[in-house]
Amino acid sequence: MTALVRAELLKLRTVKLPLWLLITTLALVALGVVATVLTAGTEGSPLQRDDPDLLARAVASASSGNVVVLILGILVLTQEFRFGTATPSFLVTPRRARVLVAKLIAIAATGVVFAVVSAVVAVALSAALIGLRGDPLTWDGTVLQVLLGVVLVMVLYGPIGIAVGALVRNQIAAVVGALAWMFIVEQLLVALLPEVGRWTPGGASTAVLQLGDVATTRGELLPVWGGALLLVAYAVVFSLVAARLTLRRDLT
Amino acid sequence: MATTVRLQGLTKRFGGTLAVDDLTATVHPGRVTGFLGPNGAGKTTTLRMLLGLVRPTSGTATFDGRPYEELVAPTREVGTLLEATGFHPGRSARDHLRVLATAADLPVRRTDEVLDQVGLTDAAGRKVGGFSLGMRQRLGLAASLLGDPPVLVLDEPANGLDPQGIRWLRGFLRGLAEQGRTVLVSSHVLPEVEQTADDVLVLAAGRLVRAGTLAELQSEGGGGTKVRTPDGERFVELLTAAGLPGRWLGPEELLVQAPPAVVGELAAEHGVVLHRLAEAAGGLEDVFLSLTGQVRP
Ligand SMILES: Nc1ncnc2c1ncn2[C@@H]1O[C@H](COP(=O)(O)OP(=O)(O)OP(=O)(O)O)[C@@H](O)[C@H]1O
Ligand SMILES: [Mg+2]
Repeated sequence: MTALVRAELLKLRTVKLPLWLLITTLALVALGVVATVLTAGTEGSPLQRDDPDLLARAVASASSGNVVVLILGILVLTQEFRFGTATPSFLVTPRRARVLVAKLIAIAATGVVFAVVSAVVAVALSAALIGLRGDPLTWDGTVLQVLLGVVLVMVLYGPIGIAVGALVRNQIAAVVGALAWMFIVEQLLVALLPEVGRWTPGGASTAVLQLGDVATTRGELLPVWGGALLLVAYAVVFSLVAARLTLRRDLT
Repeated sequence: MATTVRLQGLTKRFGGTLAVDDLTATVHPGRVTGFLGPNGAGKTTTLRMLLGLVRPTSGTATFDGRPYEELVAPTREVGTLLEATGFHPGRSARDHLRVLATAADLPVRRTDEVLDQVGLTDAAGRKVGGFSLGMRQRLGLAASLLGDPPVLVLDEPANGLDPQGIRWLRGFLRGLAEQGRTVLVSSHVLPEVEQTADDVLVLAAGRLVRAGTLAELQSEGGGGTKVRTPDGERFVELLTAAGLPGRWLGPEELLVQAPPAVVGELAAEHGVVLHRLAEAAGGLEDVFLSLTGQVRP
């Protein structure tokens, strides 16, 4: 199994895509931090400039790359079929479930790397910006909890992406569908219909990142532990469905 | 080292298409076995079933009794080259092989050895997206050799190779068989097969229509007569009535197992117009066409 995971990581390291996606992630993280810190205290922002949670809320932007990791997961799976590399992959490892598990582990590990780099950038940038504006910086347990939440979210979105890729198969449809779901459907549900929205992966992530009243104006999200469990459940169920769909398919 | 490949009652149905129909055959070690058949005969489907990529509707395919999925280290036991095998266009040739070697737990130095064997050392660092068809084919061959396997299953390996490459491949396959390996090669380039194969399996419309040594098949084509006639249907009936069954080589062309004099006299007797009457030189092509032509409606 370790050989297979190493092979999957090598696949990721020997193409350009992951590096470009990491750069994209950092841009999104920076954008999120800047927006959170600079809008604090303005009308429409639930955060005051002296809010003790300002740092934690800004640092939560380190999870902005979840969408990028999701897309990486989709591409990792759909490209194997688009480029036909599934054939050599399954010839080397005819027990296809092992290939899929190796892929899930490799994408989760990639999620950790993206999360750590994002967290470093988010913390440094948040602290610098808040400090520059002369606002109080509160380093407390919440910041640490949010950072752990960031890692959890980033670890789980990759496997969900692999599963979406296995389900949809068509690369473009999968990517466009995932983007529409995350940026339109989930945003609307969480903001306007939180009693439904809190059960979506996006709602669960928002709960894990403790964004409560930043994300929704009308109601409660799940507790942190509830969101975390729900997100793990999504990743597991999606992975099992992906396994069922990929493993028996004829490769002609 | 010696591994025998057995196909038993292998059948695959894609919706309404019967791609492979109850195929039973044995492929022996120490020999190059040519797997022949016209386009769409079911060669690729058969090889993909043998390699666990396509699930047979019924039947089994085994290596010394074990199906591919049950091989402990498949890359070390069976080398494979399939048409439409993919490469990530953005990955270099060496990295493609490194990925496979890593997954198969093979020493990474094998990648440079096989690149050298197929003559791709100079292009090893280049992205596969910029490779020609022949270069991709060589890279596929390199991948098949990574595990130094006792069995090779190659689908149209000569595809896209230049004359040097084809000559190299021929010597290479012969060499592998002489080392006692089992070599199964699909092809429809008959002259190529005549120069390389020891045994031949002929597939037509999913059915095995002939299995034997190359020499046996070649000799079947000799000593007969090739006839071209616009009145083929009637002439076949006349030939059959005379106890000289004719086989179709093409729309107006027949191969008859009788000397030209006998065939010509029969035609004259019944007033059948002939456009050509010639002694058949023998060879795989006539036998191949007659075997695979018969199956056509
Ligand atoms: N995925 C598929 N779905 C439906 N039919 C298929 C599929 N794959 C192959 N076939 C059909 O099965 C038959 C055998 O195809 P196959 O590719 O095995 O032939 P082949 O002998 O390799 O031909 P060629 O010499 O052109 O490579 C054809 O009729 C083909 O259309
Ligand atoms: Mg084929």
